[in-house]
Amino acid sequence: MNYLSEMLRLPVLDVNGEKLGIVNDFGIATGEVFPHVTSLAFQGPGKTPFMISWRKYVDHVDDSGVYLNCPDTDIRFSYLQPDEVLLARDILNKQIVDTQGMKVVRVNDIKFSVSGENRLQLRLLGAEVGARGLLRAIHPALEHGVERVAKAIGKPLGEDIIAWSYMDLLERSTQDIKLSVSHKTLDELHPADIADIIEQLDPRLRSQVFAQLDTAQAAEAIAELDDDELVAEMIEGMTDRDASSMLALMDPDDAVELIEELGNEKAEKLLRLMGVKEEKAIRNLLGYEEDTAGRIMTSEFVALPSTATVQDAIDAIRKLDEDFESVYYVYTTDPAGVLTGVLSLRTLIVAEREDRLSDLAYRDVVWVEPDLDQEQVTEEMTKYDLVAIPVCDESRHILGIVTFDDAMDVIAEEHQEDLQIAGLSTGESTTGESAHSFVWFAQRQYWIAVWAIAACAIAAIAVTSPDAIGAGMDASRVITSEGLYALMPISIMPVVLLAAMRMTAFVKNTFLEYDERDDESKPYLGFFLKSTFIGVVLAAVVYLCGELMATTIFAGGDPLAISTYLACFRAAAIVIAATYASAVAYFAVLVRGEERDRGTSGTSLTFAAVLLSALAYTVLGAVPLL
Amino acid sequence: MHVETQDKQKLTVAAVLGAMGPGLLAALSGNDAGGIATYSSAGASYGYGTLWMLPVMALLLIVVQETAARCGCVTGKGFASLIREKFGVRKSALAMGALLIANTAVTISEFAGIASGLALFGVPKTVSVPLVALLVWMLTMSGSFRRIEKILLLVSCVFVTYIVAAFLVGPNWGEVALATVTPRLVNEPQYVSLLVATIGTTIAPWMIFLAQNNVVDKNVSEDGIVLQRIDTATGSIIACAIAWFIIVTTGAVLHPAGIEVADAADAALALEPIAGEFSTILFASGLVAASFLAACVLPGVTSSAICEAFGWERGADRSWDEAPVYRGIITAVIVASALLVIMPGVDLFQIMMSAQVINGVLLPVLLVFLVFIAQDKHIMGKYRNGRAWNVLTWGTIALITVLTVVMFGLQALGY
Repeated sequence: MNYLSEMLRLPVLDVNGEKLGIVNDFGIATGEVFPHVTSLAFQGPGKTPFMISWRKYVDHVDDSGVYLNCPDTDIRFSYLQPDEVLLARDILNKQIVDTQGMKVVRVNDIKFSVSGENRLQLRLLGAEVGARGLLRAIHPALEHGVERVAKAIGKPLGEDIIAWSYMDLLERSTQDIKLSVSHKTLDELHPADIADIIEQLDPRLRSQVFAQLDTAQAAEAIAELDDDELVAEMIEGMTDRDASSMLALMDPDDAVELIEELGNEKAEKLLRLMGVKEEKAIRNLLGYEEDTAGRIMTSEFVALPSTATVQDAIDAIRKLDEDFESVYYVYTTDPAGVLTGVLSLRTLIVAEREDRLSDLAYRDVVWVEPDLDQEQVTEEMTKYDLVAIPVCDESRHILGIVTFDDAMDVIAEEHQEDLQIAGLSTGESTTGESAHSFVWFAQRQYWIAVWAIAACAIAAIAVTSPDAIGAGMDASRVITSEGLYALMPISIMPVVLLAAMRMTAFVKNTFLEYDERDDESKPYLGFFLKSTFIGVVLAAVVYLCGELMATTIFAGGDPLAISTYLACFRAAAIVIAATYASAVAYFAVLVRGEERDRGTSGTSLTFAAVLLSALAYTVLGAVPLL
Repeated sequence: MHVETQDKQKLTVAAVLGAMGPGLLAALSGNDAGGIATYSSAGASYGYGTLWMLPVMALLLIVVQETAARCGCVTGKGFASLIREKFGVRKSALAMGALLIANTAVTISEFAGIASGLALFGVPKTVSVPLVALLVWMLTMSGSFRRIEKILLLVSCVFVTYIVAAFLVGPNWGEVALATVTPRLVNEPQYVSLLVATIGTTIAPWMIFLAQNNVVDKNVSEDGIVLQRIDTATGSIIACAIAWFIIVTTGAVLHPAGIEVADAADAALALEPIAGEFSTILFASGLVAASFLAACVLPGVTSSAICEAFGWERGADRSWDEAPVYRGIITAVIVASALLVIMPGVDLFQIMMSAQVINGVLLPVLLVFLVFIAQDKHIMGKYRNGRAWNVLTWGTIALITVLTVVMFGLQALGY
């Protein structure tokens, strides 16, 4: 008798053994770590609901029913208290947030602990969310059966229990319940974890959960959401005033990223509702082009005249707002505002308070221009091991700084783009082994399927159909010999398909290594010459191999067979050379895709190349047979 | 922080047209392989004898789709969630089992549709089905079929040509109109099972889930109910109108010629008056596109509903590690369906029809859940089902149950 599923629908019997009804629900007091069951709800005759105090009336519970300690005439009914939660109504079968495992789960069953010698105490241990709870709820026998099987194959079925203190209830009807202080609810989690959980919810619940967060938390959580569409959706769901004050609370560079996702009209409206200072900071950043240093920098940094003392610097840092970006460096400027030096926090702490900043500062400051590509900014930061890098205009006036957290986002983003071009899906490294080989086949070895289809096509072109053969000829013999001939181009085709796959790999590598993307002239011509040269050499090698094979296989055979075989190889060589000559087109697709900031998948590029060369070879390869 | 309640939506023309997306799409994709097979077979075998079903079907389809969409608007939850939260584990297992079987049957019929469509182009099913299954699997797993969804829908719109074909054939419209309004019953198990199949393919269980999910994903609130009603009503009427025209055309062309539809090529014959020698190509490409689209949607809808009911992670953006069950169910449904279709000696057209019968037989199970949820005051508040809606839904349930019993009864009696 440890589970709610076993206790629901048990008969409730009074001290005389008279049945009063069947168990419907249990009320618990929410103010404890392992809450007590405080009341029992049961359904009397005619479906009338009753509720009685557990402590006062329940004597004991066993498999056959719940036994009360007095006759039914002495029972006084009670009502649900404001701090009570009904287990079956509010928790069982509902979605809850597991604030420890950071997941949204559904409660399959509820586990109790039974204690107490003379007076039965029932405490809530937690919610069962695993497979066992499901099986038990369907039928206890099923649970035992599966458990036995699972044990036999060496993978015992564990219980998956979430303690009361780590649950957060999501439903609107249960929001108002006062939960105990020890309760770890959603809003105490790290914003990145809140964002993860929000992504797992249905849209309606999403906006409800979001509405519970205060503005500062919402701002942080929304900045952590990965899905751009989701972000736009969440902001659309808020009132303009809330959205605007939330954006104002965020770091300007994060806010800019969000505003980008909104429509022009909405963005303008939100910006106008903001304070002047925040609006200006965001508009400044919006003035820079996307993916540049200017766009990802923050205007929140500490800069002081170089004549100031260490004490001045520390005072300045102390006076900063709480939501100011983390301070890693203090920059010094000359009276004209030109950047002259940088100090680390450590230098400041170690130094005497009266020391002048100009004496301590490191003068050879590395800085970048605002229109520098963001990828190159991260390269500078990696090269000089910086936590933050200043962004300056031509006259070295400091405009803002790029901090390492934004730089890391850039690196992750670029890495993902590169992976996509290289033809790997992002989640692949976490994929299970068995699925992995399927994915590997689907992404890399599908040429076999293309080969088979193209082979059928060649056969369809080259082999006469049975209906077309005149009555005087032996249809089966004609078709057999023609079919055998058709095997020639078919057997050579894999060379063409593999060459096409190598070609796209070559294009992808060149593209990933190629950096100067903002150059005026694209190196298309050079690339075209290079790839065509490779293609011609490859084609020549293939053709020579073909000649070698032809003279060996058909030595002394029918000259017609030799010439047909060679013709097939010639067709293959032509297709290979043409494929490589067309490499520049694929290269252009990749470059254009990057310019328009639209990820091009390497896998689909390869697929297109394989398909095209298969098509070309099907036509050319069938010609010698006609 | 407050979440803005959506401004009262006004019933402008733009708003109505804007809302008329999902219902129309669902209706068009409802005319899939099984639908075409059932309708053309009905027309060929019994002429105008089943036409009277379609006005009834349109009404019932509106009732069911409207109820589902309304539940979504009010609760913001999917149908599977609602079943689980109201009825607990045991009954959800029953509902999800019914859905799984019905949807697997439909997926099988989609693969059969693809196989018979491609067979008209001369591709044997042992070649087409495994390759298409692999493609469907990849597209569903990555969720990227949405990119080609519109193209497939456009191609599958060729079935609209049945409307033109019907006029070109020039049936006796008076007779057609009379048949549409006079119920007729034939005392044959084939006829009754055709009726069950017609219900099963028009009001498919998966359409209930799809209709509600569309609303939930867009987070439409109670204010959007009116627009949802317009959307579901137009979608349902158009879907049934197309079905009606298919039966009229096949009834006028094939029935008098005494052609019993036994495979896709027979069904394509009905398009001959309009497309001439190209009718086969037109029919085949439409059949393949419609079936392919549905084959991409169905495993995902099924798996998503099951995972929603049992609280497992779901979604195409979750990896195998995060959502093993979700991906596992999709894979299992696709593999099982493809294998069954490839099996030698299987009559593809028969599969398409039988799947619709299974759909029809299992539909009442899910409708019972739907009507109980929709009339629950705690869940639906003031938007709960009115008396007329309850009567109609219960009527549908009773009708299908009776027809199913009659169908099995007639078969048992050896007719």
